Amino acid sequence: MPPKRKAATAAKGASKAGKSSALSTPGPGTPRSLEGSDQVSTPADEDFDPDTLPEDQKKRDEELGKAADEFVQDWDLSSRRFHKTVGTKHVDSATRYFGMGKRDYSYLALKPDHHNRPLWIDPDKGVIVLERFHPLAEAAADFLVTIAEPKSRPTFLHEYSITTHSLYAAVSVGLNRQDIINSLERFLKTPLPEGIRLFIESCTDSYGKVKLVLKDNKYFVESVDAALLQKLLKDEVIGPLRIQTGSDELTKSHAPTMAGLVIQGTKDAAGAQQAAALQQGEKAPAAQTENTAEADVYAVLNQDDDDDDEQDVVHAFQIPDSAVEIVQKRCLELSYPILEEYDFRNDKANATLDIDLRPNTQIRPYQEKSLSKMFGKTLVGVTAACTIKKGVVVLCTSSMSVYQWRNEFLKWSNIDPKDIAVFTSDNKKQFERSTGIIVTTYSMVTNNRERAHDSKKMMDFLQGREWGLMLLDEVHVAPADVFRRVISSIKSHAKLGLTATLLREDDKISHLNFLIGPKLYEANWMELSQQGHIAKVQCAEVWCPMTPEFYDEYLRSNARARRTLYAMNPNKFQACQYLIRYHEARGDKIIVFSDEVWPLIQYASTLNCLAIHGGTAQAGRQFILDQFQHNPTYNTLFLSKIGDTSLDLPEATVLIQISSHFGSRRQEAQRLGRILRAKRRNDEGFNAFFYSLVSKDTQEMYYSAKRQAFLVDQGYAFKVITHLANIENTPNLVFPTAQARRELLQQTLLQIEKGLPDDDKTDDLFGKTGSRKKGGVRRVAGTLGELSGGQDMAYMEQSSKAIKQKRKTERNPFFNKLSREKEKARIAARNAQ
Amino acid sequence: MPRAIRGVLIECEPAIKAIIVMLDRANNNFIVEDLDDTHLVVQESMLTLLKQQLDTELKGTQLPDELLDDSE
Repeated sequence: MPPKRKAATAAKGASKAGKSSALSTPGPGTPRSLEGSDQVSTPADEDFDPDTLPEDQKKRDEELGKAADEFVQDWDLSSRRFHKTVGTKHVDSATRYFGMGKRDYSYLALKPDHHNRPLWIDPDKGVIVLERFHPLAEAAADFLVTIAEPKSRPTFLHEYSITTHSLYAAVSVGLNRQDIINSLERFLKTPLPEGIRLFIESCTDSYGKVKLVLKDNKYFVESVDAALLQKLLKDEVIGPLRIQTGSDELTKSHAPTMAGLVIQGTKDAAGAQQAAALQQGEKAPAAQTENTAEADVYAVLNQDDDDDDEQDVVHAFQIPDSAVEIVQKRCLELSYPILEEYDFRNDKANATLDIDLRPNTQIRPYQEKSLSKMFGKTLVGVTAACTIKKGVVVLCTSSMSVYQWRNEFLKWSNIDPKDIAVFTSDNKKQFERSTGIIVTTYSMVTNNRERAHDSKKMMDFLQGREWGLMLLDEVHVAPADVFRRVISSIKSHAKLGLTATLLREDDKISHLNFLIGPKLYEANWMELSQQGHIAKVQCAEVWCPMTPEFYDEYLRSNARARRTLYAMNPNKFQACQYLIRYHEARGDKIIVFSDEVWPLIQYASTLNCLAIHGGTAQAGRQFILDQFQHNPTYNTLFLSKIGDTSLDLPEATVLIQISSHFGSRRQEAQRLGRILRAKRRNDEGFNAFFYSLVSKDTQEMYYSAKRQAFLVDQGYAFKVITHLANIENTPNLVFPTAQARRELLQQTLLQIEKGLPDDDKTDDLFGKTGSRKKGGVRRVAGTLGELSGGQDMAYMEQSSKAIKQKRKTERNPFFNKLSREKEKARIAARNAQ
Repeated sequence: MPRAIRGVLIECEPAIKAIIVMLDRANNNFIVEDLDDTHLVVQESMLTLLKQQLDTELKGTQLPDELLDDSE
């Protein structure tokens, strides 16, 4: 099947060959040729198979992944079709500073009044630079954040980049092509480059034209443009999928409008409540937008300008549920990506959930902004649920956050506790009434193994019905295939992904764009902290020189041991102790992060502090957390990487990290996130502190610089501290003498020799993530003789840990010596070079 | 009979000293006397070679292993 697909694309390319472009991109400028490209001889047999096997599913997953990849590439702005080669360039002595003329944009003429405009543009990459100090910057930034993705936002110059997805997002929030181009033209210092204009036109033309709508439990493909739908119907993949509803006429209906929709908790909502109070005695306000008289009242209150297009006629045809995925994919190939839309107020088939925000809930302005575009965090999620008022599935990463989400719902909304159910490995309850909220984890839903009877029943329940909204917490962590499985197994009208850090080390973010939808909103961290929504943070990188003994050993060690050595550096110990002491004296609560477990334990025991790591017993964890939160004698908590996410400690105001996961920008951002919600953030002059302790002259320096990239882009400045003030005169520091340091080194080496405990695999502070098996009783049929060794059964060690232990002890010291010598020879050889 | 070796006194950071000690370990031909954490006496004749080797070694210290393997 894949080769056939390839052939289809090739055919498309050929039919386009008449054009000057050499690339076979499914350009929206050539939709006419697509009808001609009907040589696609793929009836896609498999896809029609209604009862798909798991293998098929897997294959399809792969294909979809590949298709998304290809699509992403095709639509890249760097794709040559958007650029005309600019003629010979002027070369002078300055040329070499601009990429040998590659970044020479002097051919873009400045407008005469350029100083009144805040934007610069790079016509090749679609990068826009905003002068933050410009009087118009505020307006320009508001506009840019809707049409482009923020790349870097330090104090004075902000960088945004226009991508297909960002334009897609702009279209989905209702901007049209002319708005975008006109506004850009208005803000730019230079005329809008032709390539960018073409790019914007082609993206906005194709996106959002076709919509997939679930109405009365039937899927409809909708479009304002009847001709376009006819074209889709003539397509041989989509055509036969249409469900005939008697006549060949396309169904006509009115487009749903924003009018009358009031997001609760916003300023408009107050007015709307009054209006609703006036008209009491009629039906409940949320379900009656068709009632024009009332809708008008709301429209006025809403002050939304979209009531002009209220009367837009929409054409639609129906497709079966099973074909949704196929149609979506086919439309993607035809370069009409489908926008999913849910007219939840007219959905009478699904029972309405009785949920409202508590009247005292105030949404912060930035949350409101993000909500009108549907993006943000917990409260945003709750508010979205209250707006849609249908059954909701919430997926989160750990069972701890499952309970946090449940509590958030209870806290912010007036939902009946009976209507909100939790689905985890030890709690499988359904709600009692017709609809409600279910909170569960990704692993519960995607689990492929044999399920217990009750969780299977629960799963069938989840899959068997339709949901109004699916909330995906921490969208950035789960791999793309998990999402695909979740999304295909649970039917929901709308999906809302929430994350604090949309950042993946593997750059698979682009897949999310197709699985869930485009990124709709990204808050500006610096602005948020200026407005007091998140804490102001002082970031510092503290350089700790390695002591000679440690550095000597470091130079001779392998990579794994090196990581432990630079974490155990006695100078780092002292710096950590110094900082803890300093901040405890100020009354701060401190969290210390370490990826390495053994050093973590050493630090905590040497410095007499609390610690939680993978090996800490479940029951103990909550106790330790409570102590840290409420007991004034315990002000410092050591956490391994299990505390990176899904842990809310608003008490913490200082964060120190002593070892971290290589160059992971995400981890750095997530750890910083632990102190952004500090309780005391609104106190005057309050500052949170983020220290990163780095051993000098080691690999850590390199990783540290990499890790900071994301935060620097968000506008954080890292101060480098090479010497902590007065540290040499501080009394009672640990490891004051060379003797003590050597002892520490010996201890460390011994531990390395013994084998370091594995890194904490559990990402989750409270739950058991997938891999751990439940200890249980198993009943096997057999004879007594068999069990006593009468048959050919042999004893085997099942626990992998025990096997490892055995192997390690079995190794003869001679071989250890041999490998040590080999290592030495290797280093010697390198030195000789 | 006492033997005289012409040496140079080097003052450096402890970390650099550790690297020099490590380089010396290969054939024991650099260091004459190890004084303390920041001071060393090395043979004068080997000074240029030492500087050279130190430079190559320093380039590698802050890079992660993957990058080192590529350059080798």
